[in-house]
Parts: sequence; structure tokens; C-alpha cells
Amino acid sequence: MKIIINDKEIEVSGQETLIEELNKRGYDIPSLCYAKEAKHQASCMVCMVKNAANGQMIPSCSTYPTEGMRIETDSEEVMSLRQMSLELLLSDHRADCEAPCSLVCPAKIDPAQVMLYYDRGQKAEARSLLAQHMDLNNLPCTTCKAPCEKVCRRGTVDENVHIREIVMELAADTTLATVPARSKANVDKNYFSSKLGRYTNAEKEWLKAEYPDASRCLHCACEGREKCKLRVYSAKAGIKSSRYGVSSALPVKEQIKVVGKLRFEPAKCVRCGLCVYNSEDGFTFQHRGFVMQVVIPEDSKAHVQESLSRLCPTGALYLED
Amino acid sequence: MADCKDCKFASPDEAIQAMVRRTDAIIDRIGTHREQIIPLLQAMQAEFNYLPSDALNRLYERTEIDRAQLISVSSFYSQFRMVPYGKHIIKVCIGTACHVKGANNVYDAFKRELKMDENTITTADQQYSIEKVACLGCCALAPVVQIDNKIFGHVQPGRVNEVLAEFEEYVSQQKLAQEEQQHEQPQGEVRLGMENCCQASGTAEVREAVIKACQELGIQVRIKPISCVGACNQVPLIDVAMPNGEITRYPNIKPQEVKEILLHHFKPASRLRRLKNAVLNQIDTFHTDLTWDNILYKPEQERTQHINTFLEGQHRISTEGYGHMNPLDIEEYIKLGGFQALKKALTEMTREEVMKEVLESGLRGRGGGGFPTGRKWQLVAANEADKKYVICNGDEGDPGAFMDRILLESYPLRVIEGLAIAAYAVGANEGIFYIRAEYPQAVIRIRKALDMAMQNGYLGEHIMGTDFSLHLRVFEGAGAFVCGEETALIGSIEGKRGFPHLRPPYPAQAGLFGKPTLINNVETLSQIAYVVSHGAQEYRKVGTENSRGTKVFALAGKVNHGGLIEVPMGTTLRQIVEQIGGGVEGGEKLKAVQTGGPSGGCIPAALCDAQVDFDALNQMGAIMGSGGLVVLSESNCMVDVARYFLNFTCDESCGKCTFCRVGIRRMLDILNKLCTGRATMKDVDLLEELANSIKKSALCGLGKTAPNPVLSTLRYFRQEYEEHVNGICRTGSCKDMVKLQITDECVGCTKCARSCPSDAINFTPYEKHVIDVETCTLCGLCIDECDYNAIIKVPLKENK
Repeated sequence: MKIIINDKEIEVSGQETLIEELNKRGYDIPSLCYAKEAKHQASCMVCMVKNAANGQMIPSCSTYPTEGMRIETDSEEVMSLRQMSLELLLSDHRADCEAPCSLVCPAKIDPAQVMLYYDRGQKAEARSLLAQHMDLNNLPCTTCKAPCEKVCRRGTVDENVHIREIVMELAADTTLATVPARSKANVDKNYFSSKLGRYTNAEKEWLKAEYPDASRCLHCACEGREKCKLRVYSAKAGIKSSRYGVSSALPVKEQIKVVGKLRFEPAKCVRCGLCVYNSEDGFTFQHRGFVMQVVIPEDSKAHVQESLSRLCPTGALYLED
Repeated sequence: MADCKDCKFASPDEAIQAMVRRTDAIIDRIGTHREQIIPLLQAMQAEFNYLPSDALNRLYERTEIDRAQLISVSSFYSQFRMVPYGKHIIKVCIGTACHVKGANNVYDAFKRELKMDENTITTADQQYSIEKVACLGCCALAPVVQIDNKIFGHVQPGRVNEVLAEFEEYVSQQKLAQEEQQHEQPQGEVRLGMENCCQASGTAEVREAVIKACQELGIQVRIKPISCVGACNQVPLIDVAMPNGEITRYPNIKPQEVKEILLHHFKPASRLRRLKNAVLNQIDTFHTDLTWDNILYKPEQERTQHINTFLEGQHRISTEGYGHMNPLDIEEYIKLGGFQALKKALTEMTREEVMKEVLESGLRGRGGGGFPTGRKWQLVAANEADKKYVICNGDEGDPGAFMDRILLESYPLRVIEGLAIAAYAVGANEGIFYIRAEYPQAVIRIRKALDMAMQNGYLGEHIMGTDFSLHLRVFEGAGAFVCGEETALIGSIEGKRGFPHLRPPYPAQAGLFGKPTLINNVETLSQIAYVVSHGAQEYRKVGTENSRGTKVFALAGKVNHGGLIEVPMGTTLRQIVEQIGGGVEGGEKLKAVQTGGPSGGCIPAALCDAQVDFDALNQMGAIMGSGGLVVLSESNCMVDVARYFLNFTCDESCGKCTFCRVGIRRMLDILNKLCTGRATMKDVDLLEELANSIKKSALCGLGKTAPNPVLSTLRYFRQEYEEHVNGICRTGSCKDMVKLQITDECVGCTKCARSCPSDAINFTPYEKHVIDVETCTLCGLCIDECDYNAIIKVPLKENK
């Protein structure tokens, strides 16, 4: 059958969904809740296109072409509705892509990654990472006004992490060997970064108890940010910050060990359901409406495979280093 | 009750074993398949009062149900609970009609009376639990409260203690054994409406009074429960029918008046008894002033004029037989022409002819969409399959609507006949009545009616000697508004969450268990028998060009005579409100009529002369919906009404797609800001943008129509939004923008101060009292108490 895409007539079989037909032809259609070869149900609406023949907005991931369709993939209306779907998801996404400290460091070191190595006892890696960015014998930190400490989220809980002290401690420890170390991503100030919003008082108390590590760092940076499609699409759509503010019923910073290296952070979940539809008696939905959540019952954890992290379009499911 | 049965066990282990045995009995009765999860959980909750974890563990062991499915399903439907509730459950209705009449104050009053704080729902002594429910479907008696199975109407916040006392008395009376009434040669018949609303207004007490009076007087009358008269505002109502066919109607009667009425119509058994009763009755009347407003001596006109004007202008198709037909008397139904249409269809018409007749009649789906019914049937019929299903959609969830409940309760056989004809036409031999959990009476009636139809050969194998067979059963919904949507409804029967899914495929192609499925609304089905027996041409005579036939509406809100009405399509809203409804309550001015529930909109008074049909309502930004009409007066705040509906859809959203799950919540955030005076005009613009985007982009009908209440109020009442931005709510409905003040009318009687639950009124007797704005919770009890109208609501800010 023939359908029209952006004024161009094309021949389709009708056996594949619109998004598959479009992607084959090089149209760049974003989507979160869809993964080829996996079970899915249309929900995120990020892949929306317009069928100008009847004026309807349709999720291209689940709609099959029908005779006479006139599809718009990039009209202003389509683009603004896609952007709104991303903005809405971000308003219910209580997470930072990058740690605030890493975004402000004038020396462009990645303090968040240094703290992560430090708290895991990988001091050699931490020191090696520092050495990639600065002369350890002549630390710029000693004279720096330390914006990293001013924006530190731990500061809103009780007292900021003493980042410079830890950096200096590491620099001074010459017994540590030089080993390969890398920052998870090149921190780019201008690239899109989701913002977590403010902690409630109850959350602050919980965080104090939950993060007693050596540095007391809350490890704000998202461990799944490299594979996060939500971030990529938000950046492409040119979103700077959400117009709705962030308010969410999701448990901030909760981290669940699922199986092996698989970790689940509900506050980053966009409820696309890919992990639910593709695990047998594993992940499941709980409640409905705005407070609907994805959960994993304790007794069902063993039914889940590590490979599920690949399906997750955000940093909610990831494999720990 | 579960706890009583369990406490006799010596050890916890024994108690668990007993629970396991009881769970096993349920599983043996219902089954072990995944799709049976909802009936299983319903039966378990009925047995244990909640879902205990030991019983659930047994479910995992013995059935196909796993933890993921259980969490997914049990947390989706609002009926299920994981913690035990008190012995009695108080359900405060917060449907539209109840909301506009102050249901939230009633809820707060119960919590105060029972000394419950914000976070508890069960009293310390485990006697009562309280919850808000979407709609009990007794809108004409708003505000309504249900305690266990007993319904109370017109509940005032200051009188909740009396409601509780009445309930406790009712419970203790229930314990007394009830004497069965002897049936000998009846001297006549007393007819009582026994629907939910009639029961809410005390018909049960009237019935008991009739039984008692008959025993005392030694007269034999038949007490007959009848279908709803529709005049829900004039209940309790009884009709006395004499053997000569004379019928006298008594609306609004009290139990105390029953004896007098019976004496007026019937002769007591013996002379002595007659004399004795006459004397006693005189004394009664003399000593109590309860019957001073003597109902018998009011002229007929005065007694029933409300009802007569209420019934004028109505046209009966779905509700034919109102007020005299016994819902569960199949012989009477047959005598009045029942099952003739089914017989005609099965024996004289082909399937195609039936569908053609329905198509030509112009009947459109009454569930809200208005899709031509005949066309829908043809789509299902066109799909060849080894099995097809028909489903009657009785998941009426709109707050403010109760048409389907009354049709199911009062005319169960007519709906069954409609569904049977539909099944024949599309080639299905299995069908389901999907009825929402909040309508227990409807479930009971339909079950009984199904049994009767089966016994009389109108269902089952080889109906009326033809080769058409049909089996029907009831599926009880578990409390989810979204299940009124076809694909979500199917999901719930299949034992899943009520997630709608993308159409196509339509249920007509792949519906229940993947088979072609026809889903029709209750009211649609109740019109089928008429169409088939009278013919399409006769049906077309009623209604407008594109909307044929009649429409049943639930008229409620700020109207003098609310109730169930059936009018020809094309009647104007003003006719409905003024003529049938007797005008706006309390002599206030009509502001708007809300139609279509949470998917509909508010039509301003200025447009109420428009004819009501599918297309006219759509053009005005509202929808026909299932037929709730809530009348709003000048004292209703339109921003608050919009917020009310968004609050409802936000709670009822299934949560699947982004625009509905998050978008509606963000709209509600803005409306909350507006109603507390914290919003800016920028927020109003964003609200409008969100509303338009959600309307275009949500996945299902619920989501797409959810912004309608906001869009229609923005269209017709934008000024009120602007006032709220300026911190003014002209009606005083938004509590954060008003305060209570005592005027100079105050005589210093201290009555208000004594009624105040938060001790916010400082008083010196015989001097003007003062309200402390800081401690006042604005519950309004003092306004109700004051005999001098000396307490008023005033805006916190001056209107610019």
C-alpha cells in the first residue's frame, strides 16, 4: 500500500509499524517505550507523529500503516507535542544527570567520579583521574573559591562534602600507583542535564542515614547517563529546564539491588513498562495514575536477567561498575 | 466476620491453617486461572474483610497467579485493600452532586465525630472505617453516605452523630428476628420503590411500618417492590392500589403516617379491632404532632403536583413500566410484551434484518461516544470467528450519573432481552454483564433475572426452539473508572490491569480473549427491544435528525426535583431544569449545567435553550456522555468545579501514557494554585496549553476528554479564572480565599460557639461573637446552626 510521509509518497508492506518504516528510511524518530524485538505497549508518546488525513496524533511505535495515511514527522505541532511529552516526563524524574559539582569545576575535573572511586576504596583510580586534569604538585584547588562545595547537594542536607580536602589528601598520597581511570562521560556544562529539585525534610533525614560513606558524598551523578535516551532526546529538543518544576511521588535516591550487577532506581523510571512486559513474574506495576510505580517484589528478583538493563531507556536500570 | 471466627483458635498456626482452608474453599469454587484473579480476590475480601498475606501465599501456591500479577492487579483497582478495616465501613460519596452540596464537609465531620486524625481511616475500637467513594449513584439525595449496606441521604455535617445513632439502632434491630408476613387473600397492594435512593430516604422503615400496621390492624395487603418512578426527590413514596384498579400516590411519607393511610383505604379485620384502632389512633395523633401535617387531607393536586410536573414531558422507552412494574417478576414483564422482541428477532428475522432495523432506527451508543449501534453490530458480525462475545457495559463511573444503575435495578429483564437480541444479530453465544462493584443491588437483580430468564427458556440452549443458544454471566468490576473504556474493560475481565490499549485492533476485530466482541452500554441495550418490536420507523419518530430516540438523564445538583428522567432527544436543557426539575434549588439563579461528567463540560445558562443531542453538545464543548446532568447555581465556583473533575480523573487515570499520567497531574497542580490564590496569568496560559495538548495526544478516550471541564470553563467563565489570579473567589467556595465573619445580626445566643468543632468562636453571652480566623477551619457548621443568618463568608481580599 502507499502512504505519504512529509509530502513524499512511499510504498509500505503494512506488516511493520510506522516507526520501523520511518527508521528504515532514515527519519529520526525518538522513542522511549519502544525497543525493536521486545514486547512493548505504547505509553511515552515521544514517538508521536500526525496523521494529517484525520488530524490524529498517533504513537508511531505501535501503529501500522493503513491506506491513505498522510504522516507528518517534523511539523511544528508534532515537534512541540513531543517536546511537551519529554518535559512532562522530566517533571516527574527526580534525578540529576550530572552532579552539580562536576558542572561547575573550573579545572574541569570530575569531582563526582573522584568521590565515587574514593568511597569505593579505589584511591589509586581516584588519584590517577585527578592527575589527568591537573598538576598534583601544584593543585589549583588550594586557591580556588570552590564552587563545587557551594553547589554540593549534601550542603542542603547538613554540611557540604569537603571536596578540596579529599582532593588534597589524594594528591599528597604518593604511595598510590598510576592506573587507568576514566571519567564516565565528558562533563559538558552546556549539554542537557536533568535537575533533581529540592529534598524534603524527611528525605534529608533519610539521606543522612543512608550515606555515611568516607566522603559523605551523595553520588548525585546518574550511573546510567551514558545510555540514557531521555537525556539525548531532551538535549536534541533544546529543553533547558522544565516549565512545571519537579514534583514527584517517587522515592528519591532509592537504589535497589536486583540481581548480579543489575541496579534499579525508581526515581528515574519513566514507567514505559519495557522491564515489566519483558520479565516473567519479575518487575511489575503498582498502583495507578500519577503515583503508579514500577516495583520488583523481593521473591521475584531471581526471575530477572541482567540484560534487562539494555531495554531501559533511562538510568533507572543499569549495571553497576 | 473473619476476626470472630479466628479468635477461637488456640495458636496462630491453627488460625493460619483455618485461613488456608477457607482460601482453598474459595479457590475450589472459583478456579485457578490467571484471568480469574479479580473474582478470586473479591471472594477473599468478602471472606476476610481484606486480603491477608497468608491467604495470598496460598493463592500463589495453588493457582497460576504470581506475585507480579497480584501486585499489579490488586493495587490497580480501588476495591482491594491489604489492611483490615473496621467492622462497619462508612462510604462518603464525593460524586459531583454530593461535591456541590458539600460532601467534603460531611467527610470531615465524620472524622471529627469519630475522633480520627488525618492519617487514620479506622477508629481506635476497630468499629468504623471511613473512605471517600466516587459516586454511589443516589445523586438526587446528595450528600449521601453509605454505612455497610444502609444508605443515608441529605446528610448534614452537623447531624452526623444522628446518622451514626440511627445506624446503630438499625444494626440492633437487624439482630431481632423478623417475622414473615402471612399471605392470604390480599385486600389490595402497597407499592414501594426499593432502589438505592428510595432505600436511602427510609423506604425500608416505611416497609416495616406497613408490615407492622397490617399486623396490628389485621389487614391483608400485598407489599410489592417496584421499579424506580424516577422522582427520586419525592421519596419515600408509596402507591396504594385497590383491587378495582384505583391507585393513590403518597410521596414524601413518614413511617408514622403509614397506619393512617392504610386505615383510610382498608377495613381492619374485626369491629373490635377497628374501634380499638380508631381510639388508639386518635390518641396517637393527639399526643404526637408527627402527623399534624396530615397527608391524607391534603388535596390530591397538592400532594402529587411535583411528581406530575416532573413526569410531564418525559417519554418512556428504556424506563417503560416505571412505577408499576416489579423488576423481578418475569410473568409481569412477559404480560407487558416482554421477550416479544426477542421472539420476533429469532423466529421472524434474519441476523441481517435485525442489524438493518437497528441501523435504520438511527440509535446511537448511549455510553458517551454516540457511535451508530447498528454499524457497530455489523462490524462485529462481519468478523468470522469460532467464538464471539457480547458484553453489557455497566461500569457507569461518572460521578453524578446513575442511569445505568437504575436501569439495571429496575428493568433487568429488558436489558437482558436487548443483550440477547444483540448476541443473535452478531452471532455470539456467550455474554457478560460487566457491572461496577459499587452497585451491589444491580448485581443481585441481574443475577436473579438471568436465572429467571434461563428457567423460562429465554436464555440457554435452543432458545424458543430455535438453534440459537446464549449463556450470560455477571462480572463485577473492582473499582476503576477507566474500565468503562472498552479495551480497559476487556483487560479487566482477562485478569489484567485496566490499561486501555491502542485501537486498532478494535474489540470488534480482536476483543475479549482475542475474539470479536461487541460492547454496548446498558441504556443502549434497553432501547433495543423497543426498536425491534415497534420497528425502526416508529423509533425514528422520536428525537432529532441525527440523534434519534430518547435519552435517560440523571438530573442532580442544585435543582429542586432531581431524579431519573427519560426525554426525547432535542429537549432543551432549560426545559429539563425548569419544567421537569422545577427550577434551581433555593430560588438561586441558574449558572450552568454540567453534562457528561469528567469528560464533559459546563454549558452556561445563556446556552441552555439549545436542544440536547449528540452534536449540539459537542459543539458547545461538552459531551452527551452517559447522561449525568448536574445543575450549577450562582453559588458554585467554576474553577472549583473544574478542579473537582481534574482531581477525579487524576485519581482514576490508569497511568499508562505520559500525557494523562503526568499531564493531568500538572493541570491539577495549576488548578490547586488557582484555588489557593497563588497562581499567575502565566499559569492560566500554561493550563490552557496543557489542556489542548492532552486532548490531542492522550492515548485513550478518558485522557483525551479529561481536559474538557477546564477547556469549557475557560471558554465560558474565563473571568472567574482571572479573579482567582487576583485572589478572589466570588462564591466563597475556595476556602483559602475567604473568611467567616459574624455580622451585627448576632444576638449573642452562643449556639454557634457550642457547635464549633475547633473552638474558634470567642463569645460573651448576649454580645456579638467573634470568629478567630486563625483557628477557624471554615467547616461552616456555625452557619447552619445560626438562626439569625448572622454568619457570612467574606473574601479575604477586596475585589478590584
